Amino acid sequence: MINILKMDFHRFKSNKMIYILLLIFFAFQIFGIFMLGKYEQPGESTVMLISSMNESQFIQVMMSQIPLWPLIYIAVFVVYFYMSEHNSGFYKNYISMKRARMYTVISKILIAGLFTLLTFIVMIVADMIGRSIFFNHALIGDGGYFAKLLIGQFLLHWAFSIVILCLSIISKSLITSIVVGFVLSLNVFGMIVTVLESIIDDVHLSSFLIVNTILSARDFNNINDLVHVASVSVVFIVIFSFIAIRYKIKEDLK
Amino acid sequence: MAEAIIEVSQLTKQFKGITAVRKVEFKIGKGEIFGLIGQNGAGKSTLLKVIAGLISPTSGEIKLFDRPVKGNHPYFERIGVLIENPGLYPHYTAYENLELIAISYGLTNRKDHINKLLKLVGLEGSNKTKVKNYSMGMKQRLGIAAALVGSPDVLILDEPINGLDPQGISDIRNMILELNNTGMTIIISSHILEELSKVATQYAIVHQGEIIEHHSREQLLLQCEDRIEIEVDKASSAVPILEQKLHINHYKVISERMVYVYDAHVENQHIINTLVESGITVHSIIKHKQSLEQYFLARIESEGGSRD
Repeated sequence: MINILKMDFHRFKSNKMIYILLLIFFAFQIFGIFMLGKYEQPGESTVMLISSMNESQFIQVMMSQIPLWPLIYIAVFVVYFYMSEHNSGFYKNYISMKRARMYTVISKILIAGLFTLLTFIVMIVADMIGRSIFFNHALIGDGGYFAKLLIGQFLLHWAFSIVILCLSIISKSLITSIVVGFVLSLNVFGMIVTVLESIIDDVHLSSFLIVNTILSARDFNNINDLVHVASVSVVFIVIFSFIAIRYKIKEDLK
Repeated sequence: MAEAIIEVSQLTKQFKGITAVRKVEFKIGKGEIFGLIGQNGAGKSTLLKVIAGLISPTSGEIKLFDRPVKGNHPYFERIGVLIENPGLYPHYTAYENLELIAISYGLTNRKDHINKLLKLVGLEGSNKTKVKNYSMGMKQRLGIAAALVGSPDVLILDEPINGLDPQGISDIRNMILELNNTGMTIIISSHILEELSKVATQYAIVHQGEIIEHHSREQLLLQCEDRIEIEVDKASSAVPILEQKLHINHYKVISERMVYVYDAHVENQHIINTLVESGITVHSIIKHKQSLEQYFLARIESEGGSRD
């Protein structure tokens, strides 16, 4: 297991595409803050200005807007990382090793988690720099709340990356996986479910969907919200990891 | 046969109801070069993938090193594979590709091992060239190096000479023989019997997913040897005449009525005349000349021809 993880990590760190993706994400994040600062409209006195928000509030606002840019970058990375190995047939060189099929999926899940973590780090660094430049402050706010927010959102984003990985493994198609990744990032599926919910009484499935959970503003000091975020993340991580591993073990490889 | 390290019994593989491999049976001994010959689409690659553990059989059994194996069994890791195309990252160099494989195997002294393999396959001077810029022959050679990273006991090569120029074919052939000399068992598939005949010690002809014939090298060459087939009343009476009067020493009595003569210095007419003069009735005499390719095509034809 550890050797396959080392191999994937070696490929991860030596791949320029990863740094380019993160650099583009960083640049667009800064640009986004610049645009927010430039076109901010002071509204009613009860509504807080984005420029005066602390980092926790700023992240919540950014993550309640479609498209969810971090999800798009994560989807692109996961599909690229998995499909480049699949399409080149590189797996044939190691897949016959004991339990390699299971370990390769676990390794990809961990690498997806690593990229998600890097995306968050880049996002925070870009926010701090951007807000310092364009909003003249980089307040974080309550450290405990900020940590809970980051952990919760990280788990949700990581779960999303596992969903995309699972779809890539099953579809074996780069285009299909990227399109599905974009569609999910735009929450099209969540919107359809929400519409269906409005037709059918007593069904509240949409609040348990991963992208909907990311989009909904949560109070991370509220235990119910914390449990909701944690359980949605864990359920998605466990279910889609299990499906991906089972599929890979049974898969007839080209 | 040497100790069997691969044994396949009643192996069948179906894809969505289509049978790609049907009830295949064979054994491969340690140190052999086992050649699978068949047309494109005959089922060779599928069979090799099943043996390598890349796909699971629908039914039947595979024994590796005398143990039945299923699923992701650790014995599969003692097999190095180059099936269809080499599995390589095009944007990496040869060294980088091999390094990744070496990491997955947990090798510690990677640099020396990789350089040794690159030297073995003749790619030691192309360290900075990315694989996407390699010729077909270079990719095939690197594919073989990749298959050797884990120091396997068995090497599976699927159509390793496809798309190679004569020099490339010769290089790969020499490499296969060199590896076999170290005791490595090699399974090699091809649709060019002539080329396979230069390396393989055992042959199986695959047609429409079935093994229709299995020969040792000697048996196969015998099938394709230049010879005169003589059918007489009694072979035991004809043999002394062939020896004494025609000085034929290289012959084989096939049955009570059939003698094969391998000496090239005698003409058919001369044999007939001599035998008839000695009171032997000659029923037929045929000059048999068949290339390996002709033999292969004839066998395929007799089994119902090409599936295309």
